[in-house]
Amino acid sequence: MPESSRRGLLFGAAAVSTGALLAACTSNEPNNARSDADTAPAADDKPGAPVTIGFAGPQADHGWLNAINENATSRAARYSDVTLEITEGSNDTAAQIGQVQTLINKKVDVLVVLPADGKALTQAGLQAMKAGIPVINLDRIFASPQAYRCWIGGDNYGMGLNAGRYIGERLKDKPDAKVVELAGMDNLELTQQRTRGFDDALKNYPNITKVARQAAEFTVESGQAKMAQLLQAQSAFDALWNHDDDQGVGALRAIAQAGRDEFLMVGGAGAKSAMDAIKADDGVLKATVLYPPTMAASAIDLARALGQNKGVGGMAELEIPASVTLYSAVVTKDNVDAYLPTGFS
Amino acid sequence: MAPEPPPLLTMDGIVKSFPGVRALDGVDLDVRTGEVHCLLGQNGAGKSTLIKVLSGAHQPDRGEIRWRGRRVALSSPSAAMRLGIATIYQELDLVESLTVAENVFLGHEPTLARILVRRGRAHSAAARLLARLGHPEIAPDRPVARLSAAQRQIVSMARALSHDVRLIVMDEPSAALDPDEVGNLSRVIAGLTAGGVAVVYISHRLEEIRRIGDRVTVLKDGRAVARGLPAKQTPTHDIVAMMTGRTVERLFPERLFPERLLPGRGGDGPADSGAAAPVLTAEGLARKGEFAPLDLQLRPGEIVGLAGLVGSGRSEILETLYGARRPSAGRVLVNGVPLRPGSVRAAVRAGIGLAPEERKSQALLMLQSVTANVSAPSLTRFSRGGWIDRTAERNAARAATRDLSLRPDDPDTPVRTLSGGNQQKAVLARWLLRGCRVLLLDEPTRGVDVGARAELYAVIRRLADDGLAVLLVSSEIPEVLGLADRVLVLREGRVVHTAPARELDEHRVLDLVLEGSATP
Amino acid sequence: MTQPAPTARRDAQPSAGPQNRELGGRRPAGLRADARNLSLLGVLAALIVVGGLTRPDQFLAASNLQLVLTQASVIGVVTVGMTFVITGGGIDLSVGAIVALASVWATTVATQEYGFAGILFTAAAVGLGCGLVNGLLIAYGGMAPFIATLAMLASARGLALQITDGRTQIVTVDAVLDLGVPDAYVLGVPPLVLVFAAVTAIGWLLLNRTVFGRRTVAVGGNAEAARLAGIDVRRQRLYLYLLSGLCCGIAAFLLIVLSGSGQNTNGNLYELDAIAAAIIGGTLLSGGRGTIAGSVLGVLVFTTITNIFALNNLQSDVQQIAKGAIIVAAVLVQRRTLRDSAT
Repeated sequence: MPESSRRGLLFGAAAVSTGALLAACTSNEPNNARSDADTAPAADDKPGAPVTIGFAGPQADHGWLNAINENATSRAARYSDVTLEITEGSNDTAAQIGQVQTLINKKVDVLVVLPADGKALTQAGLQAMKAGIPVINLDRIFASPQAYRCWIGGDNYGMGLNAGRYIGERLKDKPDAKVVELAGMDNLELTQQRTRGFDDALKNYPNITKVARQAAEFTVESGQAKMAQLLQAQSAFDALWNHDDDQGVGALRAIAQAGRDEFLMVGGAGAKSAMDAIKADDGVLKATVLYPPTMAASAIDLARALGQNKGVGGMAELEIPASVTLYSAVVTKDNVDAYLPTGFS
Repeated sequence: MAPEPPPLLTMDGIVKSFPGVRALDGVDLDVRTGEVHCLLGQNGAGKSTLIKVLSGAHQPDRGEIRWRGRRVALSSPSAAMRLGIATIYQELDLVESLTVAENVFLGHEPTLARILVRRGRAHSAAARLLARLGHPEIAPDRPVARLSAAQRQIVSMARALSHDVRLIVMDEPSAALDPDEVGNLSRVIAGLTAGGVAVVYISHRLEEIRRIGDRVTVLKDGRAVARGLPAKQTPTHDIVAMMTGRTVERLFPERLFPERLLPGRGGDGPADSGAAAPVLTAEGLARKGEFAPLDLQLRPGEIVGLAGLVGSGRSEILETLYGARRPSAGRVLVNGVPLRPGSVRAAVRAGIGLAPEERKSQALLMLQSVTANVSAPSLTRFSRGGWIDRTAERNAARAATRDLSLRPDDPDTPVRTLSGGNQQKAVLARWLLRGCRVLLLDEPTRGVDVGARAELYAVIRRLADDGLAVLLVSSEIPEVLGLADRVLVLREGRVVHTAPARELDEHRVLDLVLEGSATP
Repeated sequence: MTQPAPTARRDAQPSAGPQNRELGGRRPAGLRADARNLSLLGVLAALIVVGGLTRPDQFLAASNLQLVLTQASVIGVVTVGMTFVITGGGIDLSVGAIVALASVWATTVATQEYGFAGILFTAAAVGLGCGLVNGLLIAYGGMAPFIATLAMLASARGLALQITDGRTQIVTVDAVLDLGVPDAYVLGVPPLVLVFAAVTAIGWLLLNRTVFGRRTVAVGGNAEAARLAGIDVRRQRLYLYLLSGLCCGIAAFLLIVLSGSGQNTNGNLYELDAIAAAIIGGTLLSGGRGTIAGSVLGVLVFTTITNIFALNNLQSDVQQIAKGAIIVAAVLVQRRTLRDSAT
């Protein structure tokens, strides 16, 4: 695990719509909220009882994690009834446990924890729950459901699935289509999940073959290096899925250096640079599948609802759900404007 | 009267101390242009330190150096070189991975625009120097790593000559040379002095000094006991007396049962049934280029001394007996059982212990406690399933060190805080604990205060009286004579004399060691 | 194998002029170096055969040669600097971190305003600055190189993170970006490769033909002997870390051109790659012997392995196993070659 904690891993995350949310869970259309039963008290912008939310996250050494922190703070700032106690980010498990304990001792009303390592922070989560402080577990899941009241996070498998589906639909009429995959760090489980989702989606399209896969390391440098090799290995192919938009910067550079443009490219995570390119539509990058850092904003919403004993707006239940898996939306030229504000750099 | 020109170099009252040792205690020296000035002295007399002061490698604490009458500070090796002082060190100071030519011109390479090395020029200049030294066969482009010790000596000389020199300091230049090469060396030196270059020449070989030297300065205990004696006329016994005269009274313990141990009239022969059976036997033990075949028997309770100069093969013999060097011929037996050659493990198992010359680097774990040091070779005794029984270990270490009256009496003391004598005791305690039967001591009192030596002598004698067999190597002849029952005198890897210690005296041994130059 | 040469030289000496003597004298040194690198050339040749057999169309293409050399150039420049440090008896664990710091400092919005020259200058200056700190701590502060450069590794990475906040800094200066695309190739040679070649050539000259190189070897081989020969050992050590820092700065610039960005994760584990390449190339880890040609060959071997594995679509697990095996194999073969050539 040192490898992953050093890198502050787990980037990318899946999901959804923008700050607008949970309600939109089943739809790719961000604004199409289903709100039939409107009887439950919902978290809304109306000020309620004051809530103090403690937030503990890892060190923001990567664009996506940085965006997580920003989403959490800016969301909290929007509510006059929310006080956010944010701790210094740390990738060190022991340090993070200490931070969670400090927040428990401060008797915050709700805890939001994005653990550096989900399994290792389980005890801290349990401790908070026992102390009567509900925990919103963000993205990296604790080992025991008793350690959190609600989990909210991205869907790595779904990310691969949607990337595969998008590519499949674009290529379904093309005989003998070839696809290439530029994966993220291979020693992380999330990379394996993304690849599995991608492969499962492609099974629905018998005309498509995945001809090559190389793993980069979520860095621009490795993205450039691995993509350059892939381009040399495959003289022509039809589509490329790149797991991570950060390493995608390097991949796009390699593509430009090789002077290639015969294929379409799909990114991952939802960086602003990728969305800008999709909007401009002047290169191979046509889409990116999200792992949205806005989940941190949603986690603040959920925490506030918990603190005020409300449910989720747009849902019939009196309480917030026990787990929320965000949808990995496909951002294309058609819908990019809606997502651009969530793009991180 | 025409005023006498000032000497090329004068040194007055040079003092240099190192932690715990005053290496130079007010040395005076004067060297004239064009002379060969010999420095004589026993090991530890301060010759090497004096040379380092001369070459700018050490700064004296006190004293004055004048160069052609002007006071100078030799603040660095390059400062000395700028004046024209070049030094050939005894521990060869060459960079093995560089070639001959590169070493010769290291630090003052012929250059183009002070950046690029003019390799061709360095090359041909080095070839000329080597030819002048009578060794044209040493190729300037050979890496020094592939040269023999004698060839390296020549390269060092070429390096000294590559400077514009007025004074060359040679520290035992003949030690690594064959006799005919020594002859060649004296021709080179004659050529240099004829050209007005002065030479400061250090050697142990009296006849060599007589042949090529003009004047002699004798060092003892960091002082010059005689300055500028005529090299060719001064009687040998005067020189030897000046080298050996003792300023410190030494106390050696009584031999309790010397008669029991001394071999019978015939020396070491097996017919000697009166003595105990030997515990350690060497039969024709030899290492090519280091020491000639050696026969040696060591009996329980006996201390045998090896006397000889540095480089006479003393340490090599000890290390070969100990298995740290593999013999090229012969074998070692303990209680009649041959040891696997070249195996320290076999030697230790058979009960041989070594207290090496370089205590700090070769024997002790300086940062560890006395306990850890003493128990190191016996750990299995205190361990069960890999776990160390620390109480048992500590108690055993305490018992062993108490036996030797090691101070302070606390096995938790870090070894580095102990005095030299007590560090040596820790090494001895290690072998006592291990239950060894043969103790090999290489310079056991080096770095030990004079006052503490007597105590160490008593300890060694007591160990022998308790039945250990001890083989002792020391550069200090009085030490060998005072402590050992029997003495083997070594010269250039060969035992030249064997006798009971009581039949020898310091002058006699020194004569033997210095190639019989004192024989009438 | 060097045995006959001195004889030949001596025979030639009386009749031949000084130039002939020089030539005769140089030959054995060259042969020795070759023997040292022979095994690596063998490994490289074997790799080329494997690549050619498994993916003939892709591997042997001119574009692949450009690719391999381009990929080798960044780590290659770092390795040249590392070779000097190791030859001089030191070690520099901070190279990867310095590359990262230089690459992000040179790509901040503020720096990019100064265009091409600003980026290049900043990268070089940051590299030199870090090298200066390393050198002062080690040469004049008496710190162990391992510790001083480990501290630099940590602080430079931290500073790089602080500058970027973890964000990828995209380069918008066209003059920089254009250096990395095929239009900029000079007679088919990418500019990055030209820089790599130039650094290699200068490094080779510096180590083998200059006073600086001679002193580097002396300080690494026997610092006491060097001191007694009048060499300022401390200053020489300072220069070595400065040189390594400068190489890191140049490498950072190349990486900026290559990836079109600066990121705090750049240069990850470069220190290990550079040390490994230098060691399998024949540079002694304990100092006193170094070879630029060997180091560059070492880098090329590693890059070629990565290339062949990627072309054959083998995954990172297999790549890592093979890389370890090849390091061991190369060193074993090299030791055998050295032993044979020594007799």
